[in-house]
Amino acid sequence: MTSTLPTPSAPTTSAATPAHVTPVAALRARRRRRLTLVLVSLGVVLLALATLALTLGAASLPPARALLALLGLGDAQDAFIVHRLRLPRIEAAVLAGASFGLAGGLFQSTLRNPLASPDILGIASGASLGAVTALLVAGLTGLAVSGAAFLGALAVAFCIWFFAWRKGLHSIRFVLVGVGFAYLCSSLLAWLLSNAEVREAQSALLWTVGSVADVRGTELVTLASGLAVLAVAVSLVGRWQGPLALGDDHARGLGVPVDAARVGSLLLAVGLVALATASVGPLAFVALVAPAIARRLVDDGGAALTASALTGAALVLAADVAGQHGLFFGVSAPTGIVTGLVGAPYLLWLLATHGRKSQA
Amino acid sequence: MTATLAGPSRPTDLVARRARRRLLACLSTLAVLALVAVASLVLGVRDLDPATVWQALTAPVAGDVDHQVVLGQRVPRTLIGLAAGLALGVAGTLIQGVTRNPIAEPGLLGLNAGASLAVVCAVWLLGVTSPLGFVWFAFLGAAVAAALVFSIGAGQPVKLALVGATVTALITPLITVVLLRDPTAFNMYRFWAVGSLTGRGLDTLERLWPFLLVGVVLAGMLAHRLNMLALGDDVARALGQRVGVTRAVAGATIVLLAGTATALAGPIALVGLAVPHAARRLVGTDYRWVVALSALLGPVMLLGADVIGRLVLPRTELEAGVVAAAIGAPVLVAVARGRTVAGV
Repeated sequence: MTSTLPTPSAPTTSAATPAHVTPVAALRARRRRRLTLVLVSLGVVLLALATLALTLGAASLPPARALLALLGLGDAQDAFIVHRLRLPRIEAAVLAGASFGLAGGLFQSTLRNPLASPDILGIASGASLGAVTALLVAGLTGLAVSGAAFLGALAVAFCIWFFAWRKGLHSIRFVLVGVGFAYLCSSLLAWLLSNAEVREAQSALLWTVGSVADVRGTELVTLASGLAVLAVAVSLVGRWQGPLALGDDHARGLGVPVDAARVGSLLLAVGLVALATASVGPLAFVALVAPAIARRLVDDGGAALTASALTGAALVLAADVAGQHGLFFGVSAPTGIVTGLVGAPYLLWLLATHGRKSQA
Repeated sequence: MTATLAGPSRPTDLVARRARRRLLACLSTLAVLALVAVASLVLGVRDLDPATVWQALTAPVAGDVDHQVVLGQRVPRTLIGLAAGLALGVAGTLIQGVTRNPIAEPGLLGLNAGASLAVVCAVWLLGVTSPLGFVWFAFLGAAVAAALVFSIGAGQPVKLALVGATVTALITPLITVVLLRDPTAFNMYRFWAVGSLTGRGLDTLERLWPFLLVGVVLAGMLAHRLNMLALGDDVARALGQRVGVTRAVAGATIVLLAGTATALAGPIALVGLAVPHAARRLVGTDYRWVVALSALLGPVMLLGADVIGRLVLPRTELEAGVVAAAIGAPVLVAVARGRTVAGV
């Protein structure tokens, strides 16, 4: 997770340092302090949100009792509520949020476009299409649905790739081709929904929104282990993100295999999105918003991948708490609706203010 | 037909040839449209021979199942396809002309989503159930969405498309909230949202044709103004055009046409994108011809999509909206791969 800074080769604050190096060293030290501060405070926010999620609910538990139950010391009823009802939900929210945040950070830094997000790119609708096909046409349940969503996301990603590649990967072309596929997928989705039995169609509709409510056991383990593997791979690719941000020519000059780095990063990002979507559904705009917040917090001009993952986790957890306890329209809403309603206005604002300076 | 422009010739000769070519394009499109309409009457899950269809149209026998199918289902379906296709084709041409943007389209710019949200809210909050009641809400929703999208994204082609996609993404969860609460609304909505020409009575068309007529007449009057606008705002202004007025009238016409199409056939995406591109290929960039040809090509595409949808699957149908998206998406991809857009 050393992605945010091209690490200095040695400690530079010794007395023998030449005078002109000192400001650079000071800047780096300041940045590292800031990064640590940001990461620690994100962790604190995450813990606070998790505590809140453990205590709130139909049967309200005070934090002390919730903590005891978490450690296996409380009475049986508390332990049931914490371990069977609330904890899986929190874990799912944190893991999925981290995946989306990390994927968004990779997308945005690789395509050098703060608007690149799997929602706009059609990858999320590919996953929805795969899952709904599995639910409604093949009559599958459980892990098989997740597998179908994974395949759907990958298939759409490869289609976009195939059609957007023309002497290199131009980010705007990538986005536009993605929009085209998003429309194709959503029209097929509407067709599947209209042809199904109404009750099944409604559960499929719920899936297309995304919710962290029903992720348990094997699914949770799959999500956690997948995220762990991909995160290790991301930390290996992450060190190229800094040079890549300078532009292809400069990056090549610094010895980065540009095309391989870009392809690798995008593949990992697609894998992360597919993984998270397969277990919790397409939580709209988390992958867009989390990296943007993280970059602003860290503010070192880098990709801020670790901070993106933590921000994503905090966002999804907060959205789930808000949606569950009726902060929206007085009813409980699935997580994906809350994130969509927060994320889309943010993207509109971004488009309204950002477009003047840059190409998109 | 493509060889006519190749040889060097006198200017007057060239103009005459171009006019002949355009007329030929329009006439052959008209012939194709007639063929598609006949196919739409004849083909389907229940195959009928043309003689039976003719008999049903001219001298219907009460109680004959075939005749009932023709008059009760095929004819309304064909007429609605013609009307909605016309509206979508012309709206797409206007929106591309007025924004000078090759990837503009009512569905892509969020107008369909706005109309859908308004319709869903009408069903849920006010208990409106008839398509005639939907219409006003469809207009209102499309107008609000258009105002939002244009105020944020005006100017840059790619940005406009992104704002449209975002507005759609903003509206979708709102629609879903309503649908998850209200199973009855969901059950009505899912058949409407797929973009189908079936299950709509002719009464909607009877009520809506004046809007369509006004929209098409306005589009015809705007066509030569779009030609000037294509040269840039400054040139158009220097040629004596009030650009703001053109934009406002065009915006109102687009909302009128797109709202009518949505009320008739549901949110159908990408017809308005593909049709103007095809029309420009056939008759060049003069918007007077492009608008006219789009008015013919739109129904060809929508009705053709409907006919294809009836044939591809055994025993069931693919709705027109699905097939139209499947035809339109490759066009969007092709346009996105083109140099003009990628260079923006």
